[in-house]
Amino acid sequence: MFASAFFIYTMHLDSLKLTSFRNFETLQLTPSAGINVLHGKNGSGKSNLLEAIFVLCLGRSQRGNKDGDIIKNEQDSYRVEGTMHDGDRSIEIAVAVMRRGRKQITINGVKSKALELYERFSVVAAGPEDSEILAGPPSVRRLFLNLYISQQSTKYLENITKYSRILSQKNAALKENIEFDSYNYLLAETGAKIIIARQLFLKTLNKSAGSFYSKFSNNGELDIKYKPSALEEIEFEVDESRIKEQFEARLNEVKEQEMILKTSIVGPHRDEIEFDINSFPARTHGSQGEWRSAAIALKLSVYELLKEKRGFSPILLLDEIFAELDESRSAAVIDSFNDLGQLFLTTALEPPARLAQKALYLNIDSGQVEVVR
Amino acid sequence: MFKSAASVERLANQLARLPGIGRKSASRLTFHILKMSKDEANDIAEAIKEVKEKVGFCTTCYNISESDPCFVCSDNRRNQEIICVVEDSSDAAAMDRAEGFNGMFHVLGGCLSPLDGIGPDDLKIKELMTRLKDDIKEVIIATNPDVEGEATAVYLSKLIKPMSIKVTRIARGLPVGSDLEYADSATLSRALEGRQEF
Ligand SMILES: Nc1ncnc2c1ncn2[C@@H]1O[C@H](COP(=O)(O)OP(=O)(O)O)[C@@H](O)[C@H]1O
Ligand SMILES: [Mg+2]
Ligand SMILES: [Zn+2]
Repeated sequence: MFASAFFIYTMHLDSLKLTSFRNFETLQLTPSAGINVLHGKNGSGKSNLLEAIFVLCLGRSQRGNKDGDIIKNEQDSYRVEGTMHDGDRSIEIAVAVMRRGRKQITINGVKSKALELYERFSVVAAGPEDSEILAGPPSVRRLFLNLYISQQSTKYLENITKYSRILSQKNAALKENIEFDSYNYLLAETGAKIIIARQLFLKTLNKSAGSFYSKFSNNGELDIKYKPSALEEIEFEVDESRIKEQFEARLNEVKEQEMILKTSIVGPHRDEIEFDINSFPARTHGSQGEWRSAAIALKLSVYELLKEKRGFSPILLLDEIFAELDESRSAAVIDSFNDLGQLFLTTALEPPARLAQKALYLNIDSGQVEVVR
Repeated sequence: MFKSAASVERLANQLARLPGIGRKSASRLTFHILKMSKDEANDIAEAIKEVKEKVGFCTTCYNISESDPCFVCSDNRRNQEIICVVEDSSDAAAMDRAEGFNGMFHVLGGCLSPLDGIGPDDLKIKELMTRLKDDIKEVIIATNPDVEGEATAVYLSKLIKPMSIKVTRIARGLPVGSDLEYADSATLSRALEGRQEF
């Protein structure tokens, strides 16, 4: 019963090749379209391999780090190449970054924008660092929003990109004492669209993450509240032109303050999400166990949401997830998978038996990968 | 080690100063020029010299021109009450090819970009304001549809609106991030027709 309707073979990674990527000199890999278990000692490069798959799918790392950090120490560039299988088509992707240079993305040999990767592929990554979404600085929460809303709507990605360009221009204007009203107008226009997208995303996420969390935590409660920096109170009904007006009014209020500080202090780049666990703010009151359960609940909700939106199963990357959860929580997580596509999971220990049955086993040691069984 | 002649080096260095030409393209062009006949190469050199001798700026609209005022500013069959504001001369040429526009131009000489140190004083904005004191009914802002072009458009509209002049922005029939210069005439005509008031 468990194995039959478990997989749908849609989009998946057929082959992967890394060059000078983190601890890997060169690496070639032919994963299974189903479950892949990456086994290996601490520090062997399991998390790095998952990162490489993420980079191949979206042209950037899921971690908030710079591309330069990814390049293998003492090398000048990295390269991730792979073949993605999508229905009956094979798509060749390559992402290359030089230490002093631009990122180059090619799809089937044609130079492409990252946006085109977001249009075609989808990937969800969960790992130990996800506790930071609940307990870390606000920038981690905004990165979470940007990475996953962009996979629902490339319009959002365009707006984020545009917003950050406007913001850089405004900050430069503030530093040089140039008139910046026109940037406020544009920030409000683009920002209103971002605020609405975030509001809708978090509203949906709140429902499903709440029910996942309750399963993983013996009926614990998780509540997600969006705190847009531009507005006092975001209403249930979202009206773009009203939000734009309120945001612009707020920008006018802080105008003098911004001139003194010489930086922009209001807008989506300062947004917050508040997570409450059992009615207390998770960041200040939560335990590590609660953060972990909440983080995995968030990521599985995102996975389900994207699957529904995109009509196929995203590639799922689970980094040491089961090591962090006790047996009953692990079982609850495994039970919550349905229509699983391609999965990569890392573990220093044996994976849960139910996942192990159908999996391809890969052993990582000193930068090399070997198929075990 | 092979070392190229000083004159070859000099030409490559000069070509590399052009926008969009890197080291590699510059040396490719240099070797191409070396293979040309003397006459062909002279034609290029002469054309560059002539353009610098003959072409200057129109002191009304700041478009490049061989005469001052330029042929647009001195053509009284054109509608003198509408001014189309563009970033560069090439944009003015593109707008002029588009059907449906028969007014005057004003070339800003770029767009606002504090990141590159370009503020309002670096553009021909004061000069535009002076022109608006005459009987102008409408200003069409046709800056590029990127962040810098849009910011320039918003900036101008905030300046002009209090003067009770109609300010419009050409519609975004243009693909995002594209340059006006490369848009075809039909696209530009549609963008012009669908222009919206600020
Ligand atoms: N840019 C880099 N160049 C070389 N090695 C790197 C780079 N970035 C990380 N590493 C190495 O990768 C190893 C960590 O790999 P990781 O994937 O986190 O291991 P695992 O998840 O298997 O525990 C560390 O030994 C670290 O030094
Ligand atoms: Mg790891
Ligand atoms: Zn003129």
